[in-house]
Amino acid sequence: MRRLCIPGVLLAVCAAWPVAAHQGMDWCPDPDEPASAGGTWVWQLPRNFPVPRVPADNPMSASKVELGRHLFYEKKLSANATVSCGSCHLQSRAFTDGKARSAGATGELTARNAQNLANVAWHATFTWANPALVSLERQMLVPIFGEDPVEMGINDRNKQAVLRRIEQSASYRQRFARAFPGERKPVSWDNVIKAIAAFERTLISGDSRFDRYQRGELALAPAEMRGKDLFFGEKAECFHCHGSFNFNDQVVHEKSREVETPFHNTGLYNVDGKGAYPAASQGIIEVTGKPDDMGKFRAPSLRNVALTAPYMHDGSIATLEAVVATYAAGGRNLTQPPHAGDGRRNPHKSELIGNISLSPQEQADLLAFLKTLTDEAFLNDKRHADPFAAKGGKPRPASRR
Amino acid sequence: MHRGILCGLLASALLPLACPAEESASKIGIDFALTAAGQPWTCSAPPAPLGRGQAPSRLRDARFYVHDIRLIRHDGASVALRLAQNEWQYLDVALIDLEDGQGGCVGNRGQHARVTGEVPAGDYRGLQFTVGVPVSSTTADGRVVPLNHSNTEQIAAPLDIQAMAWNWQAGRKFMKVELLPEGGVVRAEDTVKVWTVHLGSTGCVGNPANGEIVACSSPNRIVVRFDDFDPARQRVLFDLSALFEGSDVGRDQGGAAGCMSSPQDPECPAIFRQLGLPLAVDGAPVAAPTPATTSVFRVGS
Repeated sequence: MRRLCIPGVLLAVCAAWPVAAHQGMDWCPDPDEPASAGGTWVWQLPRNFPVPRVPADNPMSASKVELGRHLFYEKKLSANATVSCGSCHLQSRAFTDGKARSAGATGELTARNAQNLANVAWHATFTWANPALVSLERQMLVPIFGEDPVEMGINDRNKQAVLRRIEQSASYRQRFARAFPGERKPVSWDNVIKAIAAFERTLISGDSRFDRYQRGELALAPAEMRGKDLFFGEKAECFHCHGSFNFNDQVVHEKSREVETPFHNTGLYNVDGKGAYPAASQGIIEVTGKPDDMGKFRAPSLRNVALTAPYMHDGSIATLEAVVATYAAGGRNLTQPPHAGDGRRNPHKSELIGNISLSPQEQADLLAFLKTLTDEAFLNDKRHADPFAAKGGKPRPASRR
Repeated sequence: MHRGILCGLLASALLPLACPAEESASKIGIDFALTAAGQPWTCSAPPAPLGRGQAPSRLRDARFYVHDIRLIRHDGASVALRLAQNEWQYLDVALIDLEDGQGGCVGNRGQHARVTGEVPAGDYRGLQFTVGVPVSSTTADGRVVPLNHSNTEQIAAPLDIQAMAWNWQAGRKFMKVELLPEGGVVRAEDTVKVWTVHLGSTGCVGNPANGEIVACSSPNRIVVRFDDFDPARQRVLFDLSALFEGSDVGRDQGGAAGCMSSPQDPECPAIFRQLGLPLAVDGAPVAAPTPATTSVFRVGS
């Protein structure tokens, strides 16, 4: 490691810095190079990004992130070795999968749409609607061990055997030892989860055309500028829920003390005329039990939104054009079964969703602006890529040493 | 406790005979047993008629956590049972596991029906325990350990069991009882195999600023008290006929198939009534009576 003559700190910087190419940091070594576990982690962030909160018991390190990347794409971590985190979170789609709902290891479908993972380090709550899940480490227990629905399919009976698949690889044993130095038994589910969480915290998207426009590096086209003004103006009102540096409204960072965690009903459904959403997924009412929480979901980040179709918590809107049109109409009026009902009249609908009557031209402008949030560097960053994909997409064991 | 430590220190240091004999402790075992239709019940037992419709049902799971187990003295005061520490018992929490993974059950092979511990020698006449996992407990050296909302992969057994984890609610299932009614569970649009009771704290909210769970609006812990209980001769019966008395386990009207503690679930009022628990109204907490009025746990021989 030291033979590279690059201090561990700088390696850490590379791992954390998805836009290295634009900063002239093309000296970053191949992401597969072993990295120092000892180096102090330094976040190098886009100018307007705060330092993320990292759990005290899971500090960042370059070797942990690199281990996490392998585990994120490791199909052996599912009960029948058929799926990995990366199966539903594809980098090319900003870590979504293009499906309304996703199939787990047994084929059972998730209740909701796979979310994009860009900038998850700053999320205050996780999944579409759960105020109880406030760290990546806790959220991850749901897909790994969940039984309703089964996603990765791990349970009391197979969890040790699945772990042994990882332990059998000398390369993994080495990676765990480097990522969790001094631990007697570093290959554990706790450390699997910690490493994947550390990797996910490096999925930083902050170099879209809009970011570069903000930094004065380029000019947006007239339609994009008109869309930007609509987005951040009182006519379209988008910024109320999507106004942060991460284009959402739930943000936590290192200096946060009290964090607000709003959830919103956007008038998608009204199956009983009293505001009900379809029973399969009703929002945070499932956790809080409060009647007014019917249909309330977390506003997702809009970074790379052009690539994350289909949209909404259940993937029920196929295109971004249709999403903009739905908001322009102040909600969705479904006239056909099985979920017929006028969501525009949903009594729990957020006051922020108005009938904003955007003309076709305005909708097109808004769309042009949303497409400026696509971050090509993020989508092509090798540090986030599937390490097993090199040979025709076939998994190969990480066993170079 | 402190006196014991002090005496121990002194004794080992210089005064081997100065302390009075440590107040003598009695080893106690509290036995639990599963019953249905008035009979002992197991994973491999033939179907028992359960619920309003007396649907013949087999057992799929029967596990629950208990904590704060106390023996009640004749004067009404109670004394905590200091639990032996092992893979089934951690701090003041024990897992009661009445399924063996055989027959209709899918859980682990091991069973744990006897809670063991010590109390100061004395004259006891009753028993109290709380069904559920506490928010936290204190170790012998005074450290507060988070329990219900602890990470399953970072905590000692028996809180590390994934089947009892309730990751979606960031806590534990306090009670996991599952039935396999003959003919399945008929719902509006399909039929499923299992009628489920998952009890746990609901309405939980975390604090994103520190990543910890701070509050649950419905704790859903059940305090059970028997004024007369002799651990040498009697057992705590977990009576599934009582649990399902007001339920139709062959049908499900909505929500989870069975009751997963959601106040909106049409199957939950009957289950909660039998457990002696109030069901939150519109997400607002409702105080639980202590002790609970329930016949799901009762004294038997």
